[in-house]
Amino acid sequence: MLKAPSFRASILLGCLAALFLAAPLFVGPYGLKFVTRLVVFSTLVVSLDFLLGLAGLVSFGHAAFFGVGAYAVYFVSPEAASANALLALGAAIAASAAVALAIGAFACLTRGFYFIMVTLAAGQMIFSLFHDTDIAGGSDGAYINVKPALAAFGSGLLDFDDRRTFYYVCLALLVLSVLALSLLARTPFGRVVQALKANEMRLSALGFDIYKFKLAAFAVSGAVAGLAGGLFACIDGFVTPELFSWHESGLAIMMVVLGGAGTLFGPILGALAYISLEETLKSASLVGDLVASHWRLGTGASLIVAVLLSPGGLAGFFRGAARTRKPTPARLGQAPLESRKAATLATENLTRTFGGLRAVDGVTVSFERDRVHAIIGPNGAGKTTFTNLLSGALKPSAGEVLVDGRNVAGWPAHRIARRGVGRSFQRTNIFPAFTIEDNCRLAAQATHPSVLRLANSRRAQEDTLVQHALAVVGLADRTQAIAGAISNGEQRQLEIAMLIASGGGILILDEPLAGMGPEETRRVIDLLLALKPNHTIVLIEHDMDAVFAVADTLTVLALGRVIAHGTPEEVRRDEAVIAAYLGGHAPRGARP
Amino acid sequence: MSLILVQILNGLQYGLLLFLAASGLTLVFGILGVINLAHGSFYMLGAYAALTLTARFGDIFVALAAGVPLAFLFGAAIEWLFIRHLYKRDHLQQVLVTFALILMFDEAQQTLWGNYPESIPTPSYLSSSISLTSDLGYPVYRIALMTICVLLAIAMMFVIQRTRFGRLVRAAESNPEMVEALGFDSRILFRIVFAAGVAMAAAAGILAAPVESAYPGIGDRVLITSFVVVVIGGIGSIRGAFLGSLLIGLVDAFGKVFVPKFASVLIYALMAIVLVLRPSGLFGRQ
Repeated sequence: MLKAPSFRASILLGCLAALFLAAPLFVGPYGLKFVTRLVVFSTLVVSLDFLLGLAGLVSFGHAAFFGVGAYAVYFVSPEAASANALLALGAAIAASAAVALAIGAFACLTRGFYFIMVTLAAGQMIFSLFHDTDIAGGSDGAYINVKPALAAFGSGLLDFDDRRTFYYVCLALLVLSVLALSLLARTPFGRVVQALKANEMRLSALGFDIYKFKLAAFAVSGAVAGLAGGLFACIDGFVTPELFSWHESGLAIMMVVLGGAGTLFGPILGALAYISLEETLKSASLVGDLVASHWRLGTGASLIVAVLLSPGGLAGFFRGAARTRKPTPARLGQAPLESRKAATLATENLTRTFGGLRAVDGVTVSFERDRVHAIIGPNGAGKTTFTNLLSGALKPSAGEVLVDGRNVAGWPAHRIARRGVGRSFQRTNIFPAFTIEDNCRLAAQATHPSVLRLANSRRAQEDTLVQHALAVVGLADRTQAIAGAISNGEQRQLEIAMLIASGGGILILDEPLAGMGPEETRRVIDLLLALKPNHTIVLIEHDMDAVFAVADTLTVLALGRVIAHGTPEEVRRDEAVIAAYLGGHAPRGARP
Repeated sequence: MSLILVQILNGLQYGLLLFLAASGLTLVFGILGVINLAHGSFYMLGAYAALTLTARFGDIFVALAAGVPLAFLFGAAIEWLFIRHLYKRDHLQQVLVTFALILMFDEAQQTLWGNYPESIPTPSYLSSSISLTSDLGYPVYRIALMTICVLLAIAMMFVIQRTRFGRLVRAAESNPEMVEALGFDSRILFRIVFAAGVAMAAAAGILAAPVESAYPGIGDRVLITSFVVVVIGGIGSIRGAFLGSLLIGLVDAFGKVFVPKFASVLIYALMAIVLVLRPSGLFGRQ
């Protein structure tokens, strides 16, 4: 999660702000242009950090939005008069946000390497569009003859032609962008955006439509980049397709990482460091002719050294030492369990094939409320596939999944989650960088998972959900611990707390006891028994002692089929089950 | 009609060159897990090496024979110096370090060879054209170029599909940890794969030099287009890279004739369509 700058970093930022404020007093016209450029570039990299550092989406086409903003100012500027500055910058923001939505619509379908490449290609596509055609002067670029200005009541308020005024406008907009993005990161929307980086699968299982969140983050970031582009066009009054080039995108990424991604202020340091480095290495009077004439060699080498030696970026140097709390042992909470949107879960002839393999083969079962239903079976029986079909992580090849009688087969995972189906994963699936409380808060937020949630309007309600969930699983006294640092067993408990906080009435738990010691196992069994009233629990588990201790019904899968279903006692005596587990060969009725 | 025939040949030629560059890129990403932005620079350095080596030895094929082993050694050195530190790092840092490498290679190119486009002579014995139809000739060198590309492609497929080393490469592509757990030294394997990728890209640059000459920024175009090929074909898939390259080559060749101003937009549009239909590329794992 986005942290406030540490004490040391705040001092540094204060000095930096003072320096920027005073800069016009002691630099000449060339110097002023240089710092203006620096400030505008900082705005660009801060916008990129929102996407790259906070949401974890590596956009390699960010220069596209920068360029679109610049060209928007060109297009709204009349031939021989100044455009209204508000209109010009508004156009820059609107145009780049629109382009970001269009590119994001494709890019957000992909992830990882593909996301990087799609954004890169999209940037190049816009580059060639402006470079190869005659739009706005083609590859030669075009001049904005008269820079935008703002007039009100007959007198000029702002004139972008005045270098000093324009510089302060840029500086104010940089500060505003940083503040706005920081505030946005702390809204419920921002919390989900930051969780994207940590764990998309978990978000989806909680009921968030991650595509929409990614797209919204992309558009916000693109809009701010467009603002920077619009300002950039006003520095020289000149736009060129080079603004879109992937070198610009690469430089922006470089500045973000150099400064420290995910801090929002770090990239400003990165921009400052990179641009100063470049200027220093270019000036022969400082470094000598030989170095200055080969400045790119020096820049490249310094960057490599910086990245390899300091993965955390410059901001990492200013980060305060992490405070570690003494862990307190977890206790099982005794909070009363209120009734929630519980539901019945059933399947009808559910089938999933992988090529010729029928991993789940015509399974018809039903799970009622207030019961623990265990699903057992030998390895390869199709248990995990079955779980994935229930939660929507996989689409069924045939058959129905019924939640409260409604067929949800083929729905995306987040929509099924919204109907009250929560699931835990075989490998614990939480947001390691978040605190325990923030993990649960995110889950509580999933009760109203719309994208446009900027106000903390349901804070009180969410607090109740979070406290309740943490009390139930026994983590109430460790709310501020970082989730990635607690024990494996506690992470499992946290995952269950998240399911409770998200309001799921149906809890699907995939091997919650895997890798647990006897003490932790005992604790989770107690937890399951405590959750049984008002929940429908579906438990996939290998630990037979635990299963027989908590389960009200048992369903036995083998080779994708149900070979037995009933109370633990009935199943224990079933011949097919004994054959499947003890005989080591396929039970009667199942295919070889 | 003859225009279409010529464009098909041009498209195939461009596609085959692209394949040499893109196959290295896809293997490096698929096996080493490294996004190598500097891959285009190796193509560029190949083209300039062709300039120097043909000036010295007088023949582009001698330049190829000398340049490819040199490129292999150069690739191994780059892997040892920079790339091996990136295997366990995230994509961002890989992007940064390889981006910084581009800066350095560009500087080296400018220092050594200057800023102007340089043409590389076609060997005199291949400078004629053969007539395809009564009124249409096609340069013999381009046909020789395509033949060599096809031979190199076949050689690479053979190594990957039929040899013990190739089996190891394929295994590492699908599960690098397991290959290491079985006791193979992945460091050597990675170095060879990276160096081979560099050698292939340089070979493409050398072969292309007499056709498109050597100029600054030549690597950028190849890099971006190669990435498009990798995305279309699917990461790590040689087959995908092959089909993707030819597809891009043909689309580009015909785009240049029919919609000259939008030819480069066209290949990105093609990529967008492929991604919508198959988000992991034509031959990528879903």
